[in-house]
Formats: sequence, structure tokens, C-alpha cells
Amino acid sequence: MAFTINDRLPIPPAGCEEKNVTCEFCIVGCGYKAYKWPAGTEGTPRKNALGVDLSKQQPTYGLWASPQMFNTVTDRDGKKYNVIVIPDHQCVVNQGQNSARGGMMASTLFTATSFTRDRLKDPAVYGGNNLNRDTWENTMDLTARVLKKILDNDHPDEIAFKAFDHGGGGGGFENTWGTGKLFFSAIQTRSAAIHNRPAYNSEVHATREMGIGELNSSYYDSELADTLFVIGANPYETQTNLYLMHWAKNLQGANFDDKKKEYDKGETVQKGRIIFVDPRLTASITNAVELAGKENVLHLRLKPGTDVTLMNALLTYIHEKGWEDKEFVKNHTEGYSATLKANRVSLDEAEKITGVPKAQIVKTAEWIAKPKASGHRPRTSVYYEKGVIWGIKNYQNIASIVNVAIQTHSVGRVGTGVCRLGGHQEGYCRPPAPEGMPSRDKLVVVDKAAAEGDYLAFFIWGCNPFVDSIMGQRLGNAFKRRSEIVKRAIDRNIGADNETLADAIYRACKYDGGLFIIDIDIYPTFKSEVAHVQLPAATTMEMNLTSMSGERRMRLSEKVVDAPGIAKPDCLISADVANALKALYEKEGNTAMAKRFEGFDWKSEEDAFNDGFAGQGAKMHSQGGPTGTLASYDLLRKAGNNGVQLPIQKVENGKLIGTRLLYTDKKFGTQSGKAMFQPSPQPPMPKEVQRQLDKYEFFVTSGRLNEVWQSNYHTSRIPMTRGRWPVAPVEIHPADAKKKGIQNGDMVLLYNDYGSVRAVAYLSESVEPGTLFMAFGFPNSPVNNLVTDFVDPDTRIPFYKGTAAGMKRIGRVDDIYRSMTFKSRI
Amino acid sequence: MSKQTIRNERRGFFKAVAGAAATAAASPALFAGEAKHEGGGAYLAYDRKKIGSLEALKKSGTLNFSYPDAQSPCLAVYVDGEVKAYSTLCTHKGCPLVYNNDNHTFVCPCHFSKFDAAKNGEMIIGQATEELPRVYVEVKGDEIVAYGIDGLVFGRESNKLS
Ligand code: SF4
Ligand code: FES
Repeated sequence: MAFTINDRLPIPPAGCEEKNVTCEFCIVGCGYKAYKWPAGTEGTPRKNALGVDLSKQQPTYGLWASPQMFNTVTDRDGKKYNVIVIPDHQCVVNQGQNSARGGMMASTLFTATSFTRDRLKDPAVYGGNNLNRDTWENTMDLTARVLKKILDNDHPDEIAFKAFDHGGGGGGFENTWGTGKLFFSAIQTRSAAIHNRPAYNSEVHATREMGIGELNSSYYDSELADTLFVIGANPYETQTNLYLMHWAKNLQGANFDDKKKEYDKGETVQKGRIIFVDPRLTASITNAVELAGKENVLHLRLKPGTDVTLMNALLTYIHEKGWEDKEFVKNHTEGYSATLKANRVSLDEAEKITGVPKAQIVKTAEWIAKPKASGHRPRTSVYYEKGVIWGIKNYQNIASIVNVAIQTHSVGRVGTGVCRLGGHQEGYCRPPAPEGMPSRDKLVVVDKAAAEGDYLAFFIWGCNPFVDSIMGQRLGNAFKRRSEIVKRAIDRNIGADNETLADAIYRACKYDGGLFIIDIDIYPTFKSEVAHVQLPAATTMEMNLTSMSGERRMRLSEKVVDAPGIAKPDCLISADVANALKALYEKEGNTAMAKRFEGFDWKSEEDAFNDGFAGQGAKMHSQGGPTGTLASYDLLRKAGNNGVQLPIQKVENGKLIGTRLLYTDKKFGTQSGKAMFQPSPQPPMPKEVQRQLDKYEFFVTSGRLNEVWQSNYHTSRIPMTRGRWPVAPVEIHPADAKKKGIQNGDMVLLYNDYGSVRAVAYLSESVEPGTLFMAFGFPNSPVNNLVTDFVDPDTRIPFYKGTAAGMKRIGRVDDIYRSMTFKSRI
Repeated sequence: MSKQTIRNERRGFFKAVAGAAATAAASPALFAGEAKHEGGGAYLAYDRKKIGSLEALKKSGTLNFSYPDAQSPCLAVYVDGEVKAYSTLCTHKGCPLVYNNDNHTFVCPCHFSKFDAAKNGEMIIGQATEELPRVYVEVKGDEIVAYGIDGLVFGRESNKLS
């Protein structure tokens, strides 16, 4: 039984092991310190690793741990160690502060007796209705034999993979390189999809094609903005310490000295203001009112799906007023007049379409574009995220935002930027996709294709498509059906050698419609029900890992503990698959094919880093760019939790020198070097969604909760967060609830043509009548069961945020009701 | 079972396990619906302290006290016909919490964490990693007595400073 000490914590002794850890959760990338020491030893209140006097009550913001920041682990040496993981007071990102998510990192470490006990520990192979624990060698041999048959008889595209492309927990430059090199260089498949979407595409094609990388500013610059313009995002809950440690300062007017230092001479210095574009009233908005005062916060509560019209109205109005940066538009951009023409919307029309009062649109234009008292242009930091990325039409949603940003020269100047806010940290470093990969508008929607019978093998790598893709329920059913065909083939071959078994699997896939499924993850999920091979991966703190944050700050997050069982870093699992295939081809004397699988002789994640991020530079698609080759584990270790902001400029006296702000030289990422306006008229409601809207009563949108991380893998286990959110809540306006006879805590059923899902009713005025907001990413109640199969034809990005459903009350599940509070979160 | 009986049982449990780890590990069920921590748990032994009058608390709704020592501010509140008491140092970074008697929530002015006094200090939303430490109280006649804490008070390696 797990045993906890509830009212005291062990003290790290002076001189114990100390490591740098970057938070594995959101893109803000907060710095943490991990202290580790043998169990049975301890520091004293007065003499300890933190150098604080713990015999006294620590002051507000004092340096010490909470119980969730503590754990006792057993390493592979069989010894027990105490570990605390606490926010780093020296880190410029979080300055000693944790969010609810980051502060729980220590408790998410694997232990045999806690809620992490079900971590995947050994490779496993299906047989006899079980996933049976197995050796790496045998599992890899079987997997490689199946893959080899496909490569020899069919086409590499028959091997599909769906994998993380992010940094932070489970991701990082080492692991995206490992998986990318395996699939793109060695196997050479083009059947690829990314962890949270059904194809292999960028979420921000539009801004890139307009010449502007999506992470072009810095957290410090957001402190200097006159106006923060936030579209489709809820940063208090999802980019917490950016909001609390950087924006809050600006909104409270607590950093005039910095502004004076950074602004032009004579320029007006004022308290920051903030504008939110969101159909929902969120905690980000209500808290901003506390920070900045009502008069400095605007909430444009638009009708879902009308962001483009709002942005176009701003573009039009700012032009009419002559508030655009004329010199910048003339000399450093292209396509302004064509875009103005295509996007023209009057304030009256905009008010009608968006539901946002004209006066608010005018005020927004004033805050982001009207010259300040001193005559200087306002400095506007524009931020957007999933509300528009996963909105009605990905490409136009983002283009319309970036248009306004370029028009007002809100990029490349101190205190400005036009950035996505982000989910995970970033960590992309991969070879280009094999030749013949279709352009963005012709990409295969891989998840859907698999559901419809395509592919012979499918890797699901560190993600959960049945929670995080389109039409989740149909997808799950299809995978189950296809998996079953292979399972029956395996069960008919009990006792067979790997070659015979591989042949049976291959035939079941090739001739009977089966799909050979390989699951790589850290916990069992629904995937365990469909997988034939399951491989246990290591995650943050179990390996050295590099990633970059929302301001391109790259850090080395160090290994602190051993991974459970014989789990391995993803990059080394990739290498195992490649090496197993190489061995088979060598044995056969097929040197040409064996050669394709060379270059995976990595002993550690550092080898993968040196091969990929630090070894390739501009030769590959790497967020490190050409100067990534200057990085090394040694230099990054020295740079500590403050790391370096990519791209690296140079190394000076053993120190990595980076880049705070991009595009200060006004040279953009287009052929002409000019930023490109993009016509972006309002897209109509997609017909797939419209059909649901015509048939069902409620518009259903979704999003993240502060206390839940992504597919809820850790947070559905941590007692505090599991108790808070045992199933996904659905926010219902009290008027709708009354109509339907629903009360707080009732279990309700949501349903449409695509599927159904249950959720617990949470009455709230955060939503307007007629709209439901359901939490995203709960494997035990996935809202994506209701999501249609629509994707933006231009980018293949889904409209996760919009579907429709009917709703009915089921009844009250007493222990869920008792476990949760239903008080207002706004 | 009346509320008073439940309280007495809790107290009995608490006394039995104070400082006795082995017993605690075997008895978590007695805390059902009450304990903040999974599995077994060890608890320090605390001194009993009279903190005020039930009648006065019922009238005003709140009662300030400190426990287990002067540097640990706490608040007793009267919710759903029951006395509940919590540490009022926010478990996030230790800011003093503000109690709203209308909806029985604690709100932190620093980073906006909110806790529900009616649900054992559960975090409604916020950046803390712990619910509010709950002070165990017992009512005898008109007298409210504190006798233990479940949860670590912010900024302490132990609830009882050395
Ligand atoms: S704000 Fe994000 S990066 Fe920082 S501690 Fe929280 S989850 Fe981690
Ligand atoms: S100190 Fe209370 S929320 Fe941060």
C-alpha cells in the first residue's frame, strides 16, 4: 500500500545531487531543480541543500517544497532515493513559481506503490488475449520481420506512423530525430500523422507562408507591450506562468522602468492593456480584470467561427483611419491592397456576423493601432492558439490575424510579436519527408484512411488518437475491428517461431483487412486493447532531453531517475527497430536495404542529439536552424535553466549566445524577404458541421482545463486532479440546464451522428445559452467522439472546436458528485 | 449516523494513529470522504487547543485562530451545519487567503487559486498543488477545539516547527 507522510517532508541534505529539469508540461518551459538523495538520510532544518532555515516558517514565495514536489523512487541499482523537484528561483522564465501542473512533476515519477505503478515497464507482444511481457530482442525481431515483409512485397507507405512532434514530456529534439530518421530516412514512408491531428502538417502554415515564424517574440517583450491581443486562448489555464509571471507585471503597471529603458526617447509609457477574443468567458479574462482594472480589459465575445470577420473588420477600419504603419507596409510587405479588397468588411456587417458591438471593435483598433499620446505607434503583442488553430478554417483564421499584425507592424519591434501561444514545448528535428510527400492541400488524412482500411502496419507513438483526433469513436471502432483480425491470426499460431508468426500477421493484414499495431507509450491506454506490440518509453527526468519553449528558449532537462522496468528513450527504441531491420537484411545479404537502416548505432540520447540537432544543422528540418551545430550537452548544461534562445548566434567564452526577438531586421521568410499579406475572407460553416448543427440542439466547443494535462495521462492518476476531475465536465449555461432538467453534478449524455460521450454537468455562465463547452483530452470521456471528419481542405487541420450535439440527463453518480466541487471557476 | 457521532469517530481514529505509522497504514477507510491523502498516512501528534465558541462562529460565520503555533494562521468556518477549519496560507506560494462567506470559498489574491470550504478545501481552480490543509476540530458544548492537521502547511518541512 502506498504510504504517505501528510504533515512533514524529508529534507535534502547539503551536497546532494542537483539537476536541472525543464517542466515537462506546457510550452512556457519553466525551470525546476531536482534534488536526489539516498532514502534513510536527510539534511537538517538548518543545514540542507537549499541553504534555507527550515526550522522557521518560510515567508510567502519562500523556497521550499509542497508534498506533491516530493517522491521516493527505486532506481535500477535497487536502491531507494528521495527526490524533490521544485521551481527554480534563478530561472528567468518562472522565477521560482510553479503552476498546478509543473508543481506535480515529482509525484508523477514512477514508483511501484503509487498511482504511477501501472507505467509500462517491459515490451509486450499480444497472444492469448493478453499483452505478454517480453524481451526487447524478441519483440524487435518480430516487429522487424513484419515490417520487412511489407517493405519487400508492398510499399513503405503501407507502414504508417502517428507520432509526437513536440518537445517537453516524451518529446524533444532527441526523440523527434530518432522517430523521424526511422520513418522518413530508413523506412521511407509518407504515411505520417502528428500526435494531435490526423495528418502530417503544420498547425500554422499560413503565418509561415506569410514569412513569419510562429514563435518570433520573447516573454520579456510581452511585458513591454502596450496591448496584449489574445485570440482563441486561455493562458491562465494553459500557459500559466507566461500569464502570471510576465503579463501580470505589465497589466499591473509594475515595470515602467523596463519600458522606459526599452522604448524610444519621449515615447509614452503606460500600463498594459489586454484584449481577449473568445466566445467563452474564462478565468484568464476575469483574472485580467483583477490585475489591470475593468477599463483595461476588453472581451470580444464573438459567435463561434467568426474570428476571420472580426480580424477583417479591424484590418478595414485601421486602414480607413490611416493607422497602419505606412512605411513598413510599403517597404517590407506585399499584397496589402489586394488583401484589403478581398477582406473588406464594414463595422456594421462585422457586428451583425460576429455579435461583437461596433464600439468594441473600434476600441480594439484604437488599442492596437492608434498612435499613443507621444505620437509613437502602440506596441502590440498578438497571441493566438487552439481557439483559432482548431477553428472553423485553420488557414484563414491564422492568416487574418497575421494580416492585422503586419499592417500594424506588430512583429520584430520591442514589445511586439505575433505568436502562437502553444501547447507542449517544441522540439522538432527531423529529416524531410521522403520524396513525393504531397503538398499541404493534398495530404492524406492518415487517421481516417486507416479507419477506412488503408495501411498494413501502424505505429502509434506517444499519443492517443482515440482521444485526440477526428471522429474518435469511429476511429476506435475501426482500429479495434482491424486489430482483431490480426489477433485471431496470432492466436492461431501459438508456439510458432517469429518468422511464421510474422508471416501470419502479414497475411492477416494484406489479405484479410487486418492492421498490425505497434503502441509506444508510458502508460496503458485504450491502445493497449488494440496493440499487438507494446513498447515502454522513458519520459522527462528519466532521460536527458532538449526542447525549446514558446520564446525559443532551449534547455537540457537532465536525467534524474531511471525509467521504469526496462523502458527506454524513444530515440533508442527507434534505433532498436532500425537495427533489427538492418540485421535481417544483412543476414539475407541485401546490402542495399541494410544500408538504409544504418546510422542508428546510438548508445545514449546524447548520441541521437549529436547526430540530429547538433549534427545536421541546415541539412534537416530542425528548429535549431544552421547554427544548431553549435550546441552541445556540455554547453547546455552550463547554460542551466536559462538555456539559450534559438537561433544560437555564437559561442562566447563557453557561453551560448541566442536571439531574443526575430525579424528586427525586417527580413522575412519569403523569397522576396517581404512579409506577405494573404487574402482571407470569412469561411462558411463546413457542411459536415452544419449537418450536425441542423440536427442537434447545442453547439459544442472544447478546450483544456488548468489542472489537466493533454490526454490526462498523469493528471487522471494524481489523486488531487483525479478527484477534481474524475470525468470531463461539460459547462452548461444555467438557462439551458433548467430547460433540460439538469443540475450540477448530473451525468449527461451528448450525442450526434458521429458518436456519443458522457460528461458531468457543470453549470456556468462562461458559455452563452445554446453553447456547451466540454473539457478536452479525457480518455474516459473524449469529446472528440463528437467531432466530425471535416478538415480544412487547405491544411488538413480539423475543426475540433466546433460540432453539435443533443444532450440528455442520465442521473447522478454519487461518488463523482461528492468528489467534485461545482463552484464557479471564473 | 449523526454528525456528532461521525466527528467522534474521526477523533478516535486520529488519536489511535498519532505517531503510530503501522496502525495508520491499515485504517484509511475510516477517513473515507474525508481524507485528502490516498493510502495510509503518518501524522504527527498535535496539542489540543481551544479556538473559540460555536455560538459566536455560527453568528459571524468565521473564526480566526492560529494552529499549531502562532505563525500558522487558520480560519474556522460554519458550512452546511458543520464546523470546518483550514490553514489560510495558500498552498501555492503562501499568500494569505481571503474567505468569501457567501459562497464558502477561499480566494487567493496572488495567483487566483480558489478553494471550496464546503468540500474539504478542494481547489476549484488555481495553481496550488495541494488542497487546503484541514485542521481537525471537535465541538464540545459551545467549545471548538483543534486537535490535528491533515496536509502540510505552506512553507514548512513539518507542521510542527523544530
Ligand atoms: S506554466 Fe507550464 S511550464 Fe510552467 S510550470 Fe506550469 S505547466 Fe510547467
Ligand atoms: S499564492 Fe495563492 S495562488 Fe499563488
